[in-house]
Amino acid sequence: MIYLDNNATTRVAPEVFAAMQPYLTEAYGNPSSAHSLGRQMKAAVEHAREQVAALLGAASPGEIVFTSCGSESDNWAIGGFLEQNPTRRHIITTRVEHEAVRNLCEHLGQIGCEVTWLEVNENGELKLDDLRQALRPDTGIVSVMMANNETGVLFPIKEIGKIIRENSEAVFHVDGVQAVGKVPINLKELDVDLFALSGHKLHAPQGVGALYVREGVKLPPFIIGGAQESGRRGGTSAVPNIVGLGAAAELAAHFDEHERIENLRNKLETSILNRILNARLNGTADPAKRLPNTSSISFEYVEGENILVHLDKAGVCVSTGSACHSTTKQSSPTLRAMNVPYTAAQGSIRFSLGRYNTEEEIDYTLDVLPGIIGKLAEMSPYDKELTALRRGATKG
Amino acid sequence: MASNSGALSELFFNPRNVGEAGEPSFMGRSGSFQCGAILRVSLQIDESQRITEAKFKAAGCSVLVSAASLLIDEVLGKTTGEAAAVAQNLDQLAGKLGTLPAERNECVLLACEALVSAIRNYSDSARDEWEGDEALICTCFCVSERIIEREIREKALRTISQVTAACSAGGGCRSCYPLIEDILEEVNGKW
Repeated sequence: MIYLDNNATTRVAPEVFAAMQPYLTEAYGNPSSAHSLGRQMKAAVEHAREQVAALLGAASPGEIVFTSCGSESDNWAIGGFLEQNPTRRHIITTRVEHEAVRNLCEHLGQIGCEVTWLEVNENGELKLDDLRQALRPDTGIVSVMMANNETGVLFPIKEIGKIIRENSEAVFHVDGVQAVGKVPINLKELDVDLFALSGHKLHAPQGVGALYVREGVKLPPFIIGGAQESGRRGGTSAVPNIVGLGAAAELAAHFDEHERIENLRNKLETSILNRILNARLNGTADPAKRLPNTSSISFEYVEGENILVHLDKAGVCVSTGSACHSTTKQSSPTLRAMNVPYTAAQGSIRFSLGRYNTEEEIDYTLDVLPGIIGKLAEMSPYDKELTALRRGATKG
Repeated sequence: MASNSGALSELFFNPRNVGEAGEPSFMGRSGSFQCGAILRVSLQIDESQRITEAKFKAAGCSVLVSAASLLIDEVLGKTTGEAAAVAQNLDQLAGKLGTLPAERNECVLLACEALVSAIRNYSDSARDEWEGDEALICTCFCVSERIIEREIREKALRTISQVTAACSAGGGCRSCYPLIEDILEEVNGKW
């Protein structure tokens, strides 16, 4: 099985599993207990906190709070801040956020908050002037993702943070779920107040995430309960998962093969765009403005789910931004916001690479993909459009 | 894929009847803006209203592709009336694809809509070209009084549904039911 869906989730790294194993077997105390087993667990949790803080460049481990997932971190950051500051009910976010932020902001908009949605251009980039103009005295929170989950486009978090600081009192929340482990992050250099991450995107298990809360930023507890996480999130700590996240953070901090992954991604992407007539890239091609592992490609006039199912049969896992795979039955809001034509959005495929991918796997994918697209193009009712594409290519 | 059951999977990976029917053919389309599916069905129909060739082209989900492939198989060789009846029995068609989640019945419906639209195009064109001097009773399937009378006499038909099964008359909008009733009475006499 060739796994090119690393933005969906990643395989638990063997190093991570090894670190977790004792905490699933002999080390079973409650970190809140005062006895030696409990103290051992507590130490493991605190060690993981240091590992995560180091990966993010946080000023101190105390700024890291463990949660159950990235969505929880996003919900807590935004919802919590607004709960704490009921007079500042203006939110600014973007059209291309992950559902965890987008649907939350839509919901908050329905229950009395005002939301400004920042638009993106065809390359998936923000216009920073829009942000400057949107900031108001009653803006409570600005939430902008670091890397887009579908296209891999990176937003200029450093500049955005500066603009927010210079023009408002608003706090800045960043959904960093897709960026962590893929690009270097140093929160000490960024004007970011809240930063969400998810373990399973960087080879930790599913079921653990974290929220960075800059020292001095006040949030009400997400779960009211015991004194875990300094009273900020009640509930017994998921020690094995937290240890796994810590180990994954350390693994990511020492990972030195980003360039190899980027080269594989580039080979895959360039070959597809060269060999397949109806293929077009979604989002900027500028390597400085996107993740090194992601490629969102639309195969015009054919259907993404069909491509996915054929690739799956051939042993390649990818994901699609087309409508039919999801119960919501709407094509990707990100691609729509980028004004990707409907017939292209329907045929969009996201390839997302990871540390375990090899060149042989990319070559194999490149071997099978053109045949699949060709077969589906045969079946497509958009024959006039496809013929025009072929004619254009022959002339060119 | 919505279902990995054999029939759907087999039809998806090896769809039958992909392409265009030879000219002259009648085209029907369906589509859903919401889910982005587009389907085109083309039919060749002989003088006795029988479908002699049927093809489809689709850009849609795997259920739509499988449903279109199956539907075309089912209606090949049938009269337009019989084919319309197949397209109206959504549950039966969906059942043959395996167990589908309820919301995926819409994909099967899309396949049926394209077929019905192709049949309607055929009927409209047949009606426009109608040159017979006897009355056209069923305008949906373009069946004349003479044909209905002949079918009733030759096959000793007694009910409207028998007439529909025999020559498609009454298989569409049903507005000709009273007229067919009259012809049945006329031929068979009062009871």
